[in-house]
Amino acid sequence: MAGTLTGGEPAAASGPRPVPAAVRTALYAAGVVARRLLLLAVLLAAVFAAVELLPGDAATATSERGETAADLAARRRLLGLDRPVAERFWDWMTGLPTGDLGTSARGEPVAGLLAHPFPNTLLLGGLALLVTLVVSVALGCWAAARPGGGIDRTVSASATGILALPEFVVAVALVLVFALWTDWLPAVTLTDADGSPASWRMLVLPVLALAVPQIGWNTRIVRAALADEAKAPHIETAVLDGLPRHRILTHHLLPGALPTVAAGIATSTGMLLGGAVVVETIFNYPGIGSVLAGAVTDRDSPVIAGVVAVTGAVITGVLLLADLVRAWASGGRT
Amino acid sequence: MTALTAPPETPARAALGPARLRVALRVLPALLLTALALAGPWLAPHAIDAPVVAPYAEAGGEAPLGGDQLGRDVLSRVLAGGRELVVTSLLVAVLVTAIAAVLGAVSALRPALGRIVERTADVLMLLPAVLGILLVTLSWPDGGRLAVVTASVVLGVPYAVRLVAGAAAPVAASGYVEAAAVGGERLGHLVVREVLPNLRATLLALFGLRFVAAVYLVATAGFLQVGPQPPAADWALMIRENSAGIVLNPWSVLAPSVAIGLLALSVNLAAAALVPPSGRKAVTAL
Repeated sequence: MAGTLTGGEPAAASGPRPVPAAVRTALYAAGVVARRLLLLAVLLAAVFAAVELLPGDAATATSERGETAADLAARRRLLGLDRPVAERFWDWMTGLPTGDLGTSARGEPVAGLLAHPFPNTLLLGGLALLVTLVVSVALGCWAAARPGGGIDRTVSASATGILALPEFVVAVALVLVFALWTDWLPAVTLTDADGSPASWRMLVLPVLALAVPQIGWNTRIVRAALADEAKAPHIETAVLDGLPRHRILTHHLLPGALPTVAAGIATSTGMLLGGAVVVETIFNYPGIGSVLAGAVTDRDSPVIAGVVAVTGAVITGVLLLADLVRAWASGGRT
Repeated sequence: MTALTAPPETPARAALGPARLRVALRVLPALLLTALALAGPWLAPHAIDAPVVAPYAEAGGEAPLGGDQLGRDVLSRVLAGGRELVVTSLLVAVLVTAIAAVLGAVSALRPALGRIVERTADVLMLLPAVLGILLVTLSWPDGGRLAVVTASVVLGVPYAVRLVAGAAAPVAASGYVEAAAVGGERLGHLVVREVLPNLRATLLALFGLRFVAAVYLVATAGFLQVGPQPPAADWALMIRENSAGIVLNPWSVLAPSVAIGLLALSVNLAAAALVPPSGRKAVTAL
């Protein structure tokens, strides 16, 4: 509150003193990074607690029928489950920054299991994020051009409609239309020798299946952010000055809506990475989805804990970017 | 600082006009579909676990929508396969709304708790809900449906509390709540008698939004094979099981997909209609 009241004064005074402003920016950035890292650390501790406190552990989950208690104890020792909780917690938390994601129920290092599939999943999720960003900003602007008009109502209604669709339902529809009935795109991902998708055409349907619900979500956010921004006095001035509509949009409306849009897109990152697990299963895409499908069969909790740790780190990175975009767009006013 | 004198939600009560009718019309499809899913198992013409035709048989004759991977009647399984999804999702939505209502009202009255909930929501933002469900169900192999419900509730509550706390803040700052607090009423009385009755519209909208989110999560859990186990009939599991035969009998995949798609769409339509006009932006807090 006090900041907005005296907002004009420090801005004017910061001109002749550039060094303190730079220091302040650096301190602010360091604070944002530290806060995000702390949240990530809390998540990792919570993941350990969840695996630990819920009934059942990796050794019993993979046990076969007729196994004796001694066999079970031996495997527990092999997986390190017989050591004290505090020690294992310390190993888990200190191992993560060095890339040690723990050991799967089958005794393999989780980091090794994810080394090849995870980059493929990041490619899929990254492309879907890009498509989501471009399409939802375009649709949001298109709808906002004539508020309450036919286009606005159509775009807003369809966006609301598709945002709740599970990715696998979208995927089935896409496969039926584009692969089985028209035969335009492949329904199954084939991999080449190094385990990555053999052709870009195999990425089209998985990316679309992931992006469609998120486009619905983010189009609504862009549309709402633009509507909020349009109420600002400087927009009214620009309209009264007779500036062209598209110039108002690109130079006045969008920059103001940028922080909200960035936050919305960042929120979608988690949905996209979670949805990727589902979509990869349908298209046989060589990502973490196939690793997790195996983990489901084995009830392999260390694998999912490792996947959660890595995705948590990726989402932290994207949220940090969104924080910085917000700080930059608001010109250090926050 | 912000002493609101006007009670937040009264005008909608008197107006029984076209606005209310429009809301009712948009809620109706969701109610019909939910009722159909609940009654479905009684309408199924065949047993859901016995083969009727050849595997992936084409539609017609005994099986109007053809057969699935084992030759079981797709129509019967689609009719039977929605009840558990709907019941589980309703349970999750009710639990999340109830817990969030109480915690949200307390957060508005006691800001210290509000800050804890905010931080929890910040942490959970790093955990994709689908992975969260997998984490809980794999760490708790014998949990079954309880594990899915627990995970969905834990993952949903912080955001829901945030929404309720936001709506409860002006109520908590109002004169009559302050008067009751100064008069020595206990926290429980303040929450149940003073704050929550004024949040009916918000809570109804929240319930709709949580139902949408729960249908998504419970269906995805089913698809990832951590929900209902074979031979149970479940829409999401049917899509997974029959995807190999999509060329032979497209209905075996298309019918359950259409069912989930329609349920998600209609429930979402209903939830959007229930959101009070002033709170439209709260939808983004799903």
